[in-house]
Amino acid sequence: MSNSIKMKKQIGYIFLTIVIMLIALVIRLFWVQFVMGEELRQKAFAVRFRNVEVKAKRGIIYDTKGRSLAISISTDSFYAIPAQVKKSKKEKDIANKIAGALDIDENDVLNKITKSQAFVWIQRHVPEEKAQKLKSLELPGISFVEEPERFYPKDKLLANVLGFSGIDNQGLNGVEISYDKVLRGISGTIMVEYDAKGQEIPDALQKYVAPQDGNSIYLTIDETIQYIVERELDEIVKVSNPKKAGAIVMDPKTGRILAMAMRPTFSSNDYQNYDQSLWRNFLISDAYEPGSTFKTVTMSGALDEGVVKLNDRFYCGGFIKVGKEKIKCWKLSPGHGSQTFVEGVQNSCNPVFVTLGLREGVDVFYRYLYGFGFGKKTGIELPGEAIGILVGKKRCKEIDLATMSIGQANAVTPIQLVTACAAMANDGKLMKPQIVEKIQDNKGNIVKTVEPEVVRQVIAPETAHQVMDILELVVSNGTGKNAYVEGYRVGGKTGTAQKIIPGGGYSKTEYVGSFLGVAPVNDPKLVCLVVVDTPEGIYYGGTVAAPAFRNIIRDSLRYLQVPAQVEPDKISGNNKESLYLPNLVGSNIKDAVNTLANNKIKVDVLGDGTTVKMQLPLANTKVLEGSKVVLYTSVPAGDGEPELIVIPDLTGKNVGEVKELTKMLNLNFKIRGSGIVIRQEPEPGERVQVGGELMVFMGPKLENSVQQLGP
Amino acid sequence: MRLKKGTPDLLLFFVTMVLLAIGIVMVFSASYYDTLENDPYFYVRKQLTWGLIGLVAMFVMMKIDYFRLKPYVNIIFAMSFLLLILVLIIGEEHHGSTRWIDLGFTNVQPSEIMKLCMVLFLASKLSQIGPRIKNFSSGLAPYLLLLCVVGGLIMKEPDLGTALSIVGTAVVLLIVAGMRLKHFAFLGVAGMGAVAALIYQETYRLKRITGWWDPWAYPSTEGYQAINSLYALGSGGFFGMGLGNSRQKLDFLPEQHTDFIFAILGEELGFVGCFLVILLFFLIAWRGYRIALTCPDVFGSLLATGITTMIVLQAFMNMGVVTGLLPITGISLPFISYGGSSLLFSMLGVGILLNVSRYSNNL
Repeated sequence: MSNSIKMKKQIGYIFLTIVIMLIALVIRLFWVQFVMGEELRQKAFAVRFRNVEVKAKRGIIYDTKGRSLAISISTDSFYAIPAQVKKSKKEKDIANKIAGALDIDENDVLNKITKSQAFVWIQRHVPEEKAQKLKSLELPGISFVEEPERFYPKDKLLANVLGFSGIDNQGLNGVEISYDKVLRGISGTIMVEYDAKGQEIPDALQKYVAPQDGNSIYLTIDETIQYIVERELDEIVKVSNPKKAGAIVMDPKTGRILAMAMRPTFSSNDYQNYDQSLWRNFLISDAYEPGSTFKTVTMSGALDEGVVKLNDRFYCGGFIKVGKEKIKCWKLSPGHGSQTFVEGVQNSCNPVFVTLGLREGVDVFYRYLYGFGFGKKTGIELPGEAIGILVGKKRCKEIDLATMSIGQANAVTPIQLVTACAAMANDGKLMKPQIVEKIQDNKGNIVKTVEPEVVRQVIAPETAHQVMDILELVVSNGTGKNAYVEGYRVGGKTGTAQKIIPGGGYSKTEYVGSFLGVAPVNDPKLVCLVVVDTPEGIYYGGTVAAPAFRNIIRDSLRYLQVPAQVEPDKISGNNKESLYLPNLVGSNIKDAVNTLANNKIKVDVLGDGTTVKMQLPLANTKVLEGSKVVLYTSVPAGDGEPELIVIPDLTGKNVGEVKELTKMLNLNFKIRGSGIVIRQEPEPGERVQVGGELMVFMGPKLENSVQQLGP
Repeated sequence: MRLKKGTPDLLLFFVTMVLLAIGIVMVFSASYYDTLENDPYFYVRKQLTWGLIGLVAMFVMMKIDYFRLKPYVNIIFAMSFLLLILVLIIGEEHHGSTRWIDLGFTNVQPSEIMKLCMVLFLASKLSQIGPRIKNFSSGLAPYLLLLCVVGGLIMKEPDLGTALSIVGTAVVLLIVAGMRLKHFAFLGVAGMGAVAALIYQETYRLKRITGWWDPWAYPSTEGYQAINSLYALGSGGFFGMGLGNSRQKLDFLPEQHTDFIFAILGEELGFVGCFLVILLFFLIAWRGYRIALTCPDVFGSLLATGITTMIVLQAFMNMGVVTGLLPITGISLPFISYGGSSLLFSMLGVGILLNVSRYSNNL
């Protein structure tokens, strides 16, 4: 017909073009849906799914005997889904009710719950009572999750070592940060599918990945010894009100830290309300000039190197000349006069130690300085360890050597000093100080045990034994008399150092008094350093620090049931009757004192209470007439003896949770009623003894439709 | 002219019915979540209504012999042209463009009407002038001028997608009618220049180009729609997530029941579903051009070519946009996208095509 061939051809071309275009489309689709498909699917998935993090419970921190020092408890954290709040069209009303229940600012709440975000926290770790109130309101778009919160049942005890963890369960200080990875666990997630407006999809997919609770750690710290140390520091604060005071107790054979405390301190539960400077663990983070306690190092080097014999004689005229300079002895002219080496140590005589240092010479002196671990971190697993400041070996002149020999010019950390002294007490073997003993997974299996670690042999065992014997003489006859403990062979060294004034020179008014010692010297169990920074009044280490050292050593050795070795009569030289101590715990303090007086036994009363809470030695211990018994009326400090526990808030917990928590805290409990805890006696925050009883009153659970996301 | 009437092309009829059915199902699936709170059936009810009206219209057009339309072509075209002007004056503005006239009971989209009317008009005129089309000034120029005016009016709304598909269809008709190749080349260069000018004139068009070229560089602005469209298709994989299970339709992908319904289809029915739809449009192309080739007269041949091109070209443009092959122009997928005017005039077109088919193959 009139359709030309050309026209048909053109239509054919058009058809062909269209077919090619459609084929291109199929290829493109293949590319998008197969080649890129998985990647696109994942990306779309990521856009749709919101992860609500379910925090893992942080591991428990125990002391070496398994007493809990830090635990995790569940609290409620409230959040808003602003899209749902807005949908209800009652934003103001909701904000008002939340503000009322939580006792916070209404406008802040309104801003939060109307933010253009999918998810916003209103308040986290809400106290139980307020949480119950808010839950009962059943507000649209407002929900909560259970989040673990750190709780330190012993509150201030060991605070500077434990540190604390923050609102997101992250370690922020102390062991909590150095062992954060172990304690933290792995957060779980609840994945919920949302549409583009932030609303949950009706038939949404939900995926729950359970959190993996953190591992628990056992510290090398012994809670009882820690209590003893903390008590003694409190006593120091009471007597001499220093700027700072601190003490470390170490097991010299293993390098394990048994106690570490300082004043002033803070509460791990309430760390925000303390000045940040109080969080610092100055025993490992700050270096100071140790003064005479450092003479133990000078002496060890000199004896080990053979530059001095025990019977060498020295003369002290109140000073010694080094080059053109004069170094004074603490006992000014006429000085200590003629004395043997051992007497010189007992007198803490500066000219003797300066002479030793000069005899050693720079190379030998530094060899022992480095050998004992000074000028280097000890490697203790706590954050913020300092290395101290040593006089550079290359520019060390004779006068520097002289002053270093008596513990000046070099700044060391208390942990370095204790570790060095522990080496002297451990047959000359330097141990790495340890704070964590073992790690336990959340099923109760021990996954790692930290073995004692020998760093090096610093001095020969014989030298070490000599040093121990000399230090014992310092305590029995010399400057360290105040550290003498009846029944035990104690060795130690006092220290009194002038503080360095910032900008140079030594202060005339500020001193650091300290005592460094070992007990028992023939089989050392404990090394202890007590440091008192700027005490008021008398500042000599022998006066401000030695009594605390003595009490710490005495109570700790008895607690550790280290048998007394020196018969008291050998010291006094008299024959006395021996008797078994009666049990005085629970009796009136006056009666107890009378009973002991009748048996010719001396009494030390510690505390202001009226009844005896504890006695040392314990009942049925054989003691001699004239020996001393310590009666405690307040802070108890013994194995199996009552210790104080801060009662947590149990409101809202069910029976299982109450059981778990009380078991952790070594408390007994009685239940009235059923359901969840609505009231408790004693009230949260009160302190009770271990093994004390807790009464919980349970009632029906308040029904609430608040969506619970936590497990 | 008396010709013997045969049976209409049953395959074309069948393909159209399948597309219509897919469209109604997909419109419901894609739209119900958006209107869940008020009336989940809002869009599908309207689409179903227009589908039925379209079906009636298709049967009517199938009965009316296509050559009987010739006398009315001028008046129809004039009315359609007036509507295009009218929409700019009294039209309803949605999302920054004025494309609809509110008739009270429903909205009409004059550009959709113009699509079919342009085909009718050109087929009629070009079949009359015959070889004169080879002459530029007396043959081709008036039509180019007309295209510029119509295209310009639609761009004024603005509606680039529809303008492009009308111009594209018209050019195909001019080619088939015998336009000279050098004129076509000239037209191509001029057209590209015009498109470039139009793109640079409106910043949003430029953004669409950049968003198309690298959507991941602008994930929340220019590239947002393209990315979410790809998310939908990618999530579909081979067999899809199952009918009704699209996630991208949950407000992630805008225009999920209109311009981007093919992405939702790809997400729910996978590559299999997409391929089926492309196959159906291929069948329309095949049957449509076959009708054009076998039609006894030039008018019918041009009419069949125009209608087929109009449907398939638009389908390609839409699917090209959804798969990221082409920049976003705002064009619907014939028979499947939600939209009354589009559906009605596509059905009318198929009705005419089916009528032409009754005279084809019966020589």
